[in-house]
Amino acid sequence: MAEMWITMGPQHPMTHGLWTLRVKVDGETVVDTVPELGYIHRGVEKICEARNFTQITPYCDRLCYASAMTWAQSYIYAAEDMLGAEVPERAEYIRLIAVEMQRIASHLMWLGAYCPDVGNLTVFVWCLRDRELFLDLLQELGGSRMHYNFPRVGGVKRDLPIGFAVRARAKIEMFLKRLHEYEMLLDESTIFLVRTQGVGACKAEDMINAGVTGPNVRAAGVNYDVRWAHPYSVYDQVDGVASVEKASSNEGSDCYDRYRVRMTEMIESCNMIISALDSIPGGDETHYNKKDEMIYIKPPIRAPAGQNGFHHFEDSRGESTFYLAGGGGKKGRGEFPYRMSIRSPMFITIPYVAKTMIGYKVADIPAIMGSFDPCIGETDR
Amino acid sequence: MQIISSEQNLSAVKVAVEETNKRFEEAGITAESCQHRSGRKYSFVHINCPPNHWVSLAKWLRFEQGVDYLSMITGIHFPLEFEFFSGQPGYNPGTPEKGWEVIVHLTRKGIKNPKVGEQTIINPTKLTGMDIPLEYQISLVLPQTDEPIIPSVQSIWDGADWNEKETWDLLGIEFEGHKNMMRVLNPHDSPPGFHPLQKQHKIRYHNHNEMYDDAQGFMRKPLDSDKKK
Repeated sequence: MAEMWITMGPQHPMTHGLWTLRVKVDGETVVDTVPELGYIHRGVEKICEARNFTQITPYCDRLCYASAMTWAQSYIYAAEDMLGAEVPERAEYIRLIAVEMQRIASHLMWLGAYCPDVGNLTVFVWCLRDRELFLDLLQELGGSRMHYNFPRVGGVKRDLPIGFAVRARAKIEMFLKRLHEYEMLLDESTIFLVRTQGVGACKAEDMINAGVTGPNVRAAGVNYDVRWAHPYSVYDQVDGVASVEKASSNEGSDCYDRYRVRMTEMIESCNMIISALDSIPGGDETHYNKKDEMIYIKPPIRAPAGQNGFHHFEDSRGESTFYLAGGGGKKGRGEFPYRMSIRSPMFITIPYVAKTMIGYKVADIPAIMGSFDPCIGETDR
Repeated sequence: MQIISSEQNLSAVKVAVEETNKRFEEAGITAESCQHRSGRKYSFVHINCPPNHWVSLAKWLRFEQGVDYLSMITGIHFPLEFEFFSGQPGYNPGTPEKGWEVIVHLTRKGIKNPKVGEQTIINPTKLTGMDIPLEYQISLVLPQTDEPIIPSVQSIWDGADWNEKETWDLLGIEFEGHKNMMRVLNPHDSPPGFHPLQKQHKIRYHNHNEMYDDAQGFMRKPLDSDKKK
């Protein structure tokens, strides 16, 4: 049969955000793919060359609306590395709680967006309902529902609010029960299993070589996690492990494995939050407006030329990295970064996934692409 | 969660620095152990590499040192003169020897494919030698030139492919030997030679008034600044 090119996008059923996947098909079989990105390129890296280190945080929030807290913190750790800032231990615990909540909310958004693609609309409604539980908690911390601007260089904006720990524990208890319902709904749905099992096989070594990280690699049977490999925050003080799945075939992990690993990761994140609330220094009651030095230490505000920093961070989609070079600003005195560089996990993952689709049917494209949790906001920056 | 301890990290960095210095002594490649400035203050390997030896260093890292992951390629432009605002006095970030810098972040992860139906559960506290995850930062410095060019490592790490595309797209640094170079973030019909992260492109519009050139109001004076009080 004659081969031909089809353009899927820029309006996509499988992602929130604009991008184009050009697919070369032979009948129903995918022969070649070319992704085209850049539809929502805002030039964040250039904008941040004229912003000081506090002003950059909200821009990093907006890199990915489904996972704003992880992106803001990813930047904050790199900025602290560059400026040499000290962080109080209580602030590290609050950050850990916030980022794990954001990880759960992000995975719920993924599950809610993915399941309608593969034939289960009920989960979409359920996921958005339960995501609200965690967005409410994050709103208590940051004051806003999606873009929190919560972490600061040198600490966090506010302490835990009154009654936060009580509500967090109750909501997590309820959520863990509901997660069990999700598993019953999806693991016994023939449509879901047929669409995801044996589709989109990827091997761990290939993914690492191509730059794919995070839950997608852990689905292939390796428990690699930045949180233990290049440790930051206080992950050694809390319970919880890096969740990992068994790769189900010779060719590696399939879409079903990537669904499973995110489900177990949500449970592990819940364990970490509970454990952090139990062991947070100063107790889980509020110290709001009383002892600011418990949550914030004033950092240096200038980074002269030659003072650079980078940090690898476990984002909910993989490994995000920021590199900051000092010595920017009007006279080169370092009030702004001279160069800020963002490594987005999805920018590297999308071209890799496009290549893994070759050989599968056109109908499998949304199932494969969606299982990697693409997010175009961080991809295009 | 069990994590890599600072002793493991230090021992791995020490060995990597020694081996790099021993292997590339004649080539002018120097490795040193650097420290993060915050958090746990773990160490990483910083390598200064002349661009012409970049491919041989990359091959050695990839195939003999087990550096299996390329995280990020960052290009930086250091012009001889740089005005932050149009028409205002600027400063000199660059020198004749240093006009461009390409910084490559690599990680040694040590990931192997597990057998079918099995998992590889790594216990971080028991890792030794080459299995310990390690961060590398490679600095490639280019002299002042209008056409910066360095060799491509696209064939060594697949992850370098789109990183190099992005660096060319935004910075204009050519990668010699890179196949299928194209615009990825800028519009595909952008004029040739337009690379927005080069420093001659101002943050706001060129030669515009202060409202656009100076959104932050650093140079704005109060309305009554010239009046005697």
